[in-house]
Amino acid sequence: MSALAPVSHRRRRVDRAARGLLAAATGLAVLPLVFVVFYLLQKGVGAWSVGFFTTDPSGKFFGDAGGVRSAIFGTLEMVTLATVIAVPAGIGVALYLVEYGKAGRFAAAVRYFIDVMTGVPSIVFGLFVYIVLVIANTGGASFAGWKGSLALALLMLPIVTRAAEVVLALVPDSLREAALALGAPRWRVMLRIVLPTARPGLVTGALLAIARAAGETAPLLFTAFYIKRATGDLNRPMNSLPAQIFTDVGQAQDRLQARAWGAALTLVLMILILTTLARVVSRRSRLA
Amino acid sequence: MRSRQLLALGAAGVLAVGAAACGSSDKNSSSSSSSTAGGGAAKTGGSISGAGATFPQPVYDEWANRFKDKTGTTVNYNGIGSGGGIAQFTAGTVDFGATDAFMKPEEIAAAKQKHGEPVHIPTVFGAITVAYNVQGLDKGLKLDGKTVADLFLGKVKKWDDPAIKSLNPGMKLPSTPVTVVHRSDESGTTKLFTSFLKDTSPEWSSKVGSDKTVKWPTGTGAAKNAGVAGGVKQSDGAVGYVEQAYALQNNFTTADVKNKAGQFISPSLESTTAAGEGISVPADLRFSAINSPNPKAYPIASATFLLVYQDMCKAGLAQDKAQGVVNWVNYAVGDGQQVAPALQYASLPPGLDQKAKAKVDGLVCNGAPLKATG
Amino acid sequence: MQAGTLTQRAGRSFGERPARARVPDVVMRWGLTALAAAVLALLAYFFARLIGESQTALSRFGALGFVFDNDWDVSSSHYGALPLVVGTLVTSAIALVIGVPVAVATALYITELCPRRARGPLTILVELLAAVPSVVYGLWGFFVLIPKLRPVQQWLADTFSFLPFVGGHVAGPSYFIAGLILAIMIVPIVSAITREVMATVPSDHKEAALALGATRWEMIRTAILPYSRAGISGAAMLGLGRAVGETIAVTIVIGNAPRIGQQVFDQGYSLAAVIANEFGEAASIPLHRSALIAAGLVLFVLTLIVNGFARYFVVRGQQGPKAAPAPGMAG
Repeated sequence: MSALAPVSHRRRRVDRAARGLLAAATGLAVLPLVFVVFYLLQKGVGAWSVGFFTTDPSGKFFGDAGGVRSAIFGTLEMVTLATVIAVPAGIGVALYLVEYGKAGRFAAAVRYFIDVMTGVPSIVFGLFVYIVLVIANTGGASFAGWKGSLALALLMLPIVTRAAEVVLALVPDSLREAALALGAPRWRVMLRIVLPTARPGLVTGALLAIARAAGETAPLLFTAFYIKRATGDLNRPMNSLPAQIFTDVGQAQDRLQARAWGAALTLVLMILILTTLARVVSRRSRLA
Repeated sequence: MRSRQLLALGAAGVLAVGAAACGSSDKNSSSSSSSTAGGGAAKTGGSISGAGATFPQPVYDEWANRFKDKTGTTVNYNGIGSGGGIAQFTAGTVDFGATDAFMKPEEIAAAKQKHGEPVHIPTVFGAITVAYNVQGLDKGLKLDGKTVADLFLGKVKKWDDPAIKSLNPGMKLPSTPVTVVHRSDESGTTKLFTSFLKDTSPEWSSKVGSDKTVKWPTGTGAAKNAGVAGGVKQSDGAVGYVEQAYALQNNFTTADVKNKAGQFISPSLESTTAAGEGISVPADLRFSAINSPNPKAYPIASATFLLVYQDMCKAGLAQDKAQGVVNWVNYAVGDGQQVAPALQYASLPPGLDQKAKAKVDGLVCNGAPLKATG
Repeated sequence: MQAGTLTQRAGRSFGERPARARVPDVVMRWGLTALAAAVLALLAYFFARLIGESQTALSRFGALGFVFDNDWDVSSSHYGALPLVVGTLVTSAIALVIGVPVAVATALYITELCPRRARGPLTILVELLAAVPSVVYGLWGFFVLIPKLRPVQQWLADTFSFLPFVGGHVAGPSYFIAGLILAIMIVPIVSAITREVMATVPSDHKEAALALGATRWEMIRTAILPYSRAGISGAAMLGLGRAVGETIAVTIVIGNAPRIGQQVFDQGYSLAAVIANEFGEAASIPLHRSALIAAGLVLFVLTLIVNGFARYFVVRGQQGPKAAPAPGMAG
């Protein structure tokens, strides 16, 4: 039996080479991240100033180009509205799937279509809202911030539902049964037992969905469109950080390109804070 | 988690109510009747919105600043390209449009059907430069229409091609490959540029033609004048076509182009003004000054237009918006003409400026003449 | 758990409670069911509207004609989407060729080879790749990657010009750069799913191979990879689905040329990019707008198909192959 014979030199070399290759590939995968962060910091910090955060883009060809205040406000407003729509709805659907939909074809269909939704390109969600709401001038305006929020909410819904379903399913049945045995009605069990137990996981899922939505450009392109001023009016076109970056990328002036980097750094920082928060919350979960 | 869900519902409710309260519910979807724009010691105040060509954007931005100081009215101009400007003007989502390429008959028919007769008001003349970024080429190359067409056809692949060499004897040309940058959006600048190429190159005329967007045989597409400028700036060996203000701002080297009279002219305020002299224009002021016969004229120069409806109120604008637009176009053909040359845009030649002013005076609101007040 | 509130009802079984007390339960159940049904209905409605709005263009050019006609000409109002479809597929293919091997290698390294303490940080780093938004990748790609990689691309074009579709002059934006950025963007998702799939490999397979004297690499090659094949295919297809639908990063770096490029270093266009770029002008032109919506429909159907395949493969991968091959030995 050669099973315990020493490993030949050739095999040892192949093994070492393969392991080196795998390590190198991993380094290669991480390298772009390093570069992106490096350039974001190098070019973005230089663009930051008080004016950067407190003035709107002026659109002026000469003179002061302005900052990105309207973009920051717009992103905050639209993502907040999208969250308010998508998170309760997503948790609601997940609750349905877990509490009432363990078997049955309807639940299977819902689960399947939520799955389908995760694969839909974000620009198609924007197209949906464009066709149904923008062309029809619903609400008095054609482009509007709330329509952008709707497109973002569509994007967030499957993410929240999937994450929520996983976490809600992890709540032990014993907890539910104990509450039911004590005479609590089903709805009370869900609201007072299941949801609180799953809360960290739900928060994590919501935060990840928010982080995703904050960075999306395509759904906003023809729903919220782009304007320079901060109006705070959700029923009119609204600026957003991704839209502002996209606009400034196609510019030749150095200070506009620098502004794009500054806005990109701001956006990435926002998303990083959200994802880190999500990770911290999930670590403290009792169910993870 | 009742409290959490209630909070969410409450927030949604508040936001919905807020949005409904702030939002304008009038059918006319032009922006902000409720915006607190100008402020200041305003005579008229308020704001108007326009969209379109990036060709004149530098001068329109400067005019908007001065106009606001003068009348308190804010002009929100969105440079999205002439095609976008005509589209939004026709759709009625802006108060005025702007384009370098005058509207085609079918575009006029579409606008007429929705809102009424559109009026073209020429504002300034500008030059479209053939701008390039080639290391080793600091002076302006002499190029004729056919060679420029060959560059954009992809037939001239290197900067030391014999075609370029023969026009520039004695000049040391690097062998850098040529990278073409063109517009990816519908552009009046493209229409003007390609109409020049069509006039001077039979091959371009048969293969590609002239329009706001064409099937470019080669090259990278970028949006707006600024995008093409950015594309040229980025690559060694790149050549693109941009309005003069953009070339000046980015320190591009620009070509001296051969005009109809056979002279190699470099783009400047004088040569742009010369292009506007002596041209005959039709009654609706839809004209192009490309390839002017004037021996001092830069051949790729022409006028750009503001688009307004003859009867703005009937077209759907509120009274105060219509007044603001009339004041704006009046400024454009009046005081604004003094400002334009400083930015290297040529003001309207005598004769044409009278015709433009007549068009402005002829604007009405629900049949009643609308005179400028600001 | 609020024991006080609940024990108020203790002593009475559920069936003894008045019917009135059951109303909230029924409301809750039907409310949630209605919500789920509403989501389904919404999706169906959107799909129907998408098809409806595309009709103007699709009936004019024919559904197949629209997809396979190589002529996207806005000025003559003729819309054939083949250059866009080709651009979408080519950039996604490049993304797969570059991204999947890297992602699988990363998954292998993290699960099998790297020191235990580095596992967490490395996983986080790879996942952070997914946190960078598409527009920022586009920004970085346009201002950093394109200028810095031009000499490399030109070298590749010159050295490998004997290969089909390789060669020519490198201008800057190209299918290749777009594919490269897409590869970076799909690595996190492909890697994450591959790791999940590899976690299902029974450890006795791995230990058996090691016990028989296999080196680490041989164990991977014989015990893990064959077992995970289906799952890795699924992961790759999910990455493909992501790459196909990616809009903004591609728009910024692909060059916006509505042609089918001859070389991989030529400029091109993609379905998503054309929608992003042209809809602003199409707003008032019904045929153009319908053509763009039809392009969106094609994109949607494409992602549906790809993701359908992906789901099938991932599920199969997680169930494990029907007959796990016994670890063989070479040499």
